[in-house]
Amino acid sequence: MSGHHISSVKFLWGIALSLVVLTVVTVLAAWMHFPEPWNVVVKLAIATVKAFIVASFFMNLWWDSKFNVLLLAISIVFFFIMVGITLLDTLYRTDPIPLF
Amino acid sequence: MATADTNTPRRLQVQRFRPDDNPKKHYLNEETGLWSWLTTVDHKKIGLMYLGSITLFFLVGGIMALLLRTELLSPAESFVAADTYNQIFTLHGAIMVFFFLVPSVPAALGNFILPLQLGCKDVAFPRLNLLSYYIYVIGAIFTLIAIFTGGVDTGWTFYTPYSSTAAGGNVMMMTFGVFILGFSSILTGLNFIVTIHRMRSPGLGWNRLPLFLWALYATSVIQVLATPVLAITLLLLTMERLLGIGIFDPNIGGDPVLFQHFFWFYSHPAVYIMIVPGFGIVSEIISTFSRKHIFGYWAIALSSLAIAFIGFLVWGHHMFVAGQSSLSNLVFSFLTFLVGIPTGIKIFNWLATLHKGSIDLKTPMLYILAFIFLFTIGGFTGIMVAALSVDIHLHDTYYVVAHFHYVMMGGMVMAFIGGLHYWWPKITGKLYSEVWGRIACTLLFIGFNLTFLPQFIMGSLGMPRRYFNYLEQFQTYHQLSTMGAYTMAIAFVIIAIYLVHSIFKGKNATANPWGSRALEWQVNTLPPLHNFHHTPVIINGPYDYHKPMAEFQLGIAETHNGHGSGEHMEDATSRSAPADS
Amino acid sequence: MSQSSAIPKKGDHVQEHFVNSNQQFEAAKLGMWIFLVTEILFFGGLFVAYIVYRSWYPELYILASDHLDVWLGAINTTVLIGSSLTVALAIRCAQTNYTRGIIINLCVTIALACVFMVIKYFEYSEKFELGILPGAHYTYEGIAHEKANIFYSIYYMMTGLHGVHVIVGIGLMVWLVIRANKGHFSSEYYTPVEITGLYWHLVDIIWIFLFPLFYLID
Repeated sequence: MSGHHISSVKFLWGIALSLVVLTVVTVLAAWMHFPEPWNVVVKLAIATVKAFIVASFFMNLWWDSKFNVLLLAISIVFFFIMVGITLLDTLYRTDPIPLF
Repeated sequence: MATADTNTPRRLQVQRFRPDDNPKKHYLNEETGLWSWLTTVDHKKIGLMYLGSITLFFLVGGIMALLLRTELLSPAESFVAADTYNQIFTLHGAIMVFFFLVPSVPAALGNFILPLQLGCKDVAFPRLNLLSYYIYVIGAIFTLIAIFTGGVDTGWTFYTPYSSTAAGGNVMMMTFGVFILGFSSILTGLNFIVTIHRMRSPGLGWNRLPLFLWALYATSVIQVLATPVLAITLLLLTMERLLGIGIFDPNIGGDPVLFQHFFWFYSHPAVYIMIVPGFGIVSEIISTFSRKHIFGYWAIALSSLAIAFIGFLVWGHHMFVAGQSSLSNLVFSFLTFLVGIPTGIKIFNWLATLHKGSIDLKTPMLYILAFIFLFTIGGFTGIMVAALSVDIHLHDTYYVVAHFHYVMMGGMVMAFIGGLHYWWPKITGKLYSEVWGRIACTLLFIGFNLTFLPQFIMGSLGMPRRYFNYLEQFQTYHQLSTMGAYTMAIAFVIIAIYLVHSIFKGKNATANPWGSRALEWQVNTLPPLHNFHHTPVIINGPYDYHKPMAEFQLGIAETHNGHGSGEHMEDATSRSAPADS
Repeated sequence: MSQSSAIPKKGDHVQEHFVNSNQQFEAAKLGMWIFLVTEILFFGGLFVAYIVYRSWYPELYILASDHLDVWLGAINTTVLIGSSLTVALAIRCAQTNYTRGIIINLCVTIALACVFMVIKYFEYSEKFELGILPGAHYTYEGIAHEKANIFYSIYYMMTGLHGVHVIVGIGLMVWLVIRANKGHFSSEYYTPVEITGLYWHLVDIIWIFLFPLFYLID
């Protein structure tokens, strides 16, 4: 079949190693007790990088049709829509806008 | 599409393939017997199985509606106890929404027509298609079990904490049935998206895609994005009942409004799943029966996608009085006004298509004209309840009930029946009685308005919805409404009778009785099992009525599946054939 | 590769309604990606619940998270990363026509997935003994917050649902091993391996997010 990217064994092991390293970094970051809210930001950022690596190099999105990348992006956008607008309610129950 | 190694345009030899008006072999007789139906992977037969199932559920839901309306003829209890009344309206809602409206156009008509309009032999995953159908059936069975082993009286919206704690009956069984059903919806949407992306005929670029397919595409996108959230909502509800998880029950620290967020995140886009395919049908029928190119092709196509997207931003308008923050109330109200815009664009484009068209008032066209009128009323009243200040008064009254019945029934059901009549000759090879078609349509239109117009009035006067009793002052409205309901029932029975009659005794249809240019009409009267024996080649858009019919019946002259390089293909000469319209 | 109109010769696997093997493969991949989109939205709902409750009760999350063992979580993360690696290697073996390699790599993946489930079993049973049970059955007194049951309800829902997906993945891979054994896969046709691999990588990605969100709250 034409156009299917085949990664080398070394490459795949390299990717896996980088993921393990990042896992170690995440645990260390937890021990370092960043101030709120940066601790969450740092950990989520590392997780996002790991997810990006898995998606690009294990799931082959780096070499795949751009449409599949678009699909993934769209699902994340809609997830953020769901979270963001729900938070508009749950975070603002005590009214910043006074009624009557 | 096919592997496009080459970027240089290729010449393809094409010839005209005339559809046969009297094919000897077609999809209904090429494989016979009950087992062949139960194990078929033919999208057309699967579509018909869905059609039968949704008709059955429409009947059940309709009977529920008649029971409700009959009970409401008089204020006090007539023949239904209060708790039973609650169960009946729950069932009416759940069955109509989940088992009729959501699958109706995509699964029944869409399954049948989509591959034909694309020019391919089947959907991308035919076995998955059959699985979708069986998942639908299994979900239906669980729901029926729920009905017969205790019933559900929470309303189709399953609000917590009632549904997660106190509600008796078989909430878990019904939510499980709907959970399973959701997968049917997801898999159908998945199938359609892949088919439209990967299996278009040579020449069928996105700019030539029929608007019905644009609508199905937008619907499939919504199905794929929204239905999983319903699934997780129902799963959480079930866990809440089983294990007392506590995220929705205020007694153990949860938040019932959160349930509503989860529920409506799916259920609002769900209403767009229900109506957008109807919009697609309207585009097809309006163009065919005005014999005119649709006005504003790209406006209609892109507005379907716009509705799909904006529809995800507005769910909180169901929760204006539920207790969410006033900031959300403001934001949701504003966003809901936005969602009316793409729909309005469509309505104007359709009207412009009618203008100076050569209008043929056949039955499908009558249904579509009814649609435009009734859906506009429904849509306007939707914008009215989108206004926060107005909704405070109208929420949970009959005004809302009338609004959504105008869009769902006056809109979607009309479009569905119109589509059924439009494609009836292609599906069955027969023509129904035009006279009875028009009579039934008129009766349905009158009955519908008689049922639901009084509901707007009583809603604005304060009559609450889902109420078993009511004050004397509303009785006249209720009685008018019930009379309308029975009128509609008669109309539906008439439709059923003449449609079934046409199968056995109807006139045989030609391959293209309406003279449409769309691809599904360029195939035999009853399509062959694998749709096309040739690979169709598309050189015009589906609404180019100014081009001769011969140009819509082209196919690759070689046999087997030789695909060209798509957009760069040049039109080789067809054999000299007499030009006809 | 010739794209003439001949019926594909070596492609028995090409189904009737597809033009050629490549169209079928790309269609299957697209279909699986759409399915993964639905999985993301499915888990997404649970993440919303997590975020909403964390925004309401941040101290609860900090307190409750202490009872989750970071080391077990980290080991599980590494185990899943390893299983993603072996599944990618299995696909590579299929692409290079090395059937034994497919079987070996898939078996290692299954083994690692089972290790994951075993560790989860130990985690769960340790909690059950303490009385940290989901929902109404929660009886543990050790967390000084009245909403502790909600944190653990969300924990059990998310990790439990994730575990169900792991088990489904194990089942799929067992089926793949059986088919590989029968010689169904080659460099011409390895679609089921590819799309199961995609599913498995998503299961890994979800855990990559679950780990810091539950185990690594300060």
